[in-house]
Order: sequence, then structure tokens, then C-alpha cells
Amino acid sequence: MKSKTLILAAAAGLAAGAPLLAQAGPKEDLKAFREYYMKRFPGVPLDEFANGVYAIDAGMRAEWEQMEEFPPYELGLDIGKAEFYKKFKNGKSLADCFPDAEKGIKQNYPYWDPKRKEVITLELAINECRKANGEKPYKWKKGKLAAVSAYIGYLSRGKRINVVVPEDDPDALAWYERGKRFFYAKRGQLNFSCADCHVANPGRRIRANLLSPALGQVTHFPAYRKKWEAKGSGALAGFGTIQRRYTGCNKQVRAKPFKAQSVEYRSLEYFHTYMSNGLPINAPGVRM
Amino acid sequence: MKIKTLIGTSLVALSMALGAAGCAGTGGQQAAAKSQAQSAKAAEFDRIYKEAVAARKKAASVGFEWRDIGKFLKKAKAAAKKGDYDKAIKLAKKAKAQGELGYQQYLSQRNAGPHNYGL
Repeated sequence: MKSKTLILAAAAGLAAGAPLLAQAGPKEDLKAFREYYMKRFPGVPLDEFANGVYAIDAGMRAEWEQMEEFPPYELGLDIGKAEFYKKFKNGKSLADCFPDAEKGIKQNYPYWDPKRKEVITLELAINECRKANGEKPYKWKKGKLAAVSAYIGYLSRGKRINVVVPEDDPDALAWYERGKRFFYAKRGQLNFSCADCHVANPGRRIRANLLSPALGQVTHFPAYRKKWEAKGSGALAGFGTIQRRYTGCNKQVRAKPFKAQSVEYRSLEYFHTYMSNGLPINAPGVRM
Repeated sequence: MKIKTLIGTSLVALSMALGAAGCAGTGGQQAAAKSQAQSAKAAEFDRIYKEAVAARKKAASVGFEWRDIGKFLKKAKAAAKKGDYDKAIKLAKKAKAQGELGYQQYLSQRNAGPHNYGL
């Protein structure tokens, strides 16, 4: 009888333990995530992770510091600024939709909207503002949208990411969990997850590229990438949102990417950004 | 001599006529067999193509479609249109296999989480 009880208790413990493992809350996830990187890169201060690979590779950091002397994104930022204040046909502008932008707002995006029961990213909010004012939305992921978003990011430099996941709201938690699953799930023909590159292997090379730690990746987006710059033309060619990067990563592992602002990418951005809570915004960052 | 020549000529003509008729018969049979084989291949392609489309849909429904399936299906259709069923079938089979593997990947990854990475 005793052994039967013991088996039952053990089974109950296992049953309870398994979901606990999968259902660690956002706060526990964040704590474990941060500790992992601090242990993996001892001596790198937490805020330094906002600089991506430049926090962990001295040679690349020196190159980046030189690029920052004459930042390649400056012209594009001016275009983003002009777009931000440009009057719509109705006399309003994007600045009216984001009255606190000059004080810094990027750190609060993406946020959970309890009325709409969905995650709102900064880029989604920008295009919704345009539509609400009778303007055509920008094309997603790059160009003017990325430049405006980068300008808002630039105004938010130094503000610490403060994404909120209301733990008493099951819908918000479901979005967070969806993003978390996406981040850790292997996908595509190459069978790679986001975590395979950016949790298990940061600091190692994949072909010629140095893999960055996932901690701090979102701080410098929209980013200005030399790769994107080379593929396009004009001052905005190098700009791209974090969802442009997700699309590229998915393609690289031979998975079919999702549409920009899809539930999949918004939930991923929600989780991914939450994991960098407390780090300073430094968008737009120059990356290779 | 004249009669001999006449007989000889008639025999040659007859044998040529018979030979031609024989050739025509073999060619026709070959053409018919070829056309039958093409029809069988076309039917096989249609079946595999449908299965590949279904496998792709199933993988996409759970968000695990692989990047190149659409490309393979498009190329398969183009090859079939040109009558190159061997190529078309090969591509459709590849698309089908990738669709099935994408769904299997979903099954293996649906509970993925930080625990897989020691976090």
C-alpha cells in the first residue's frame, strides 16, 4: 500500500513538474536567460549586450567604432525624421500619434493591448496611424517605415527596455508563450531554431559571420546593415526592422518565412524583446 | 529473260511493300506504347502532385512549411506541361517529402522551450 502511494505521489510529482518546466513564467525565464549569458561571457557587463557581437569580439568592435565616427545611417535618419513630422493631407502627422516620442517611447514596444487582445509593435502602430489619418501605409520591414521607426528609436536611446507581460492575463501569456515556443523550436530544412544560433552558439562563427547573443539583439533595431545596404540603393537601403531580420533568418534555415506583423512574428518579437528588458535602447545599430 | 526479269521485279516490289507494312506496324505499336507510358506517368504525376500539395498544406497549417516546397511544385508543374514527367515526378516527390518532414518537425518541436538548451 505504501509503495502504491509512493508511486502515485511520484507520478503526480512528475505530472506537476513537467508542466512547471514548460510553464515557467516570464520573470523566471528572464532571470534564467540573463544568468546564462552572464555566465557564458564572464566579464561582459549586462549593458554591453546591447552592442551585440561588438560586446564579445574586440576586432569587430574596433571596426564598428570607426564606422560610428561617420554613421552610415545619418542620412536615412534625417529622412525618417522628415517623415515623422510631415503633415498628412488632414494636417496631422505621425508626431500627433506619438506625442511622447521625443521623450523616448521605443522601450515600451511591443506592448500588450488588452482591449484588442493582441501585441502591438512600433511598426504596426506607425502604419495604423497613417491609415487612421487617410494615408497609405508604408511598405513593411524596410524603407520609410524602418527609417521612421529608427528615428523613434534614436530619440529613445538610453531608455531601458520595459516590455510588460501581464501575468494575470491569460491571453497576453498565450502570446508570450507562442513567441517563446517559436524562439526555441527548430524549423526549416536545416533544422535550426533561433536558440541554436543565438543561445547555444553565440561567439562562434557560422560561415564568415559571428553569431550574436540573443540577449540585447532587439536594442539596436531597426538596424542599418551593410548587407542590406549593398543589396539596395539610396539612403534607406540599409535599414530594416527586427521582422525583416526574422524573415532573413527563417529563409537562411530554409523555413518559409511568415508575413511581416503576422501573429507569429509579433509574438516572437514580444518574447524576444522581453528577454532584453532592462537593457538600453541604442537604435539604429550598424551591423554587417 | 523478260519473264524472269518481270518475276524478279515483282518479287522485289512485293518484299518492299511487305517490309514497309511491317515497319509501319512496329512504329505504330511503339508510338502507342509510348503514349500509354506517358499517360501512366501523367496520372502518376497528378497523384503525387496532389499528395505534395496536401502535405505542404498540412505543414503550413502548423507553421512549419519549408522554404522551397512552393518552388519545387512550380517547377514540377512546368516540367509536366512540357511532357517531362520524369523530372516532374521527381520534383513533386521532393515537395511531398519536405511537406511531410515539416509536419514531423512540428510534432517534434511543439513543446520546445528553454529546457532544451539547459535554461
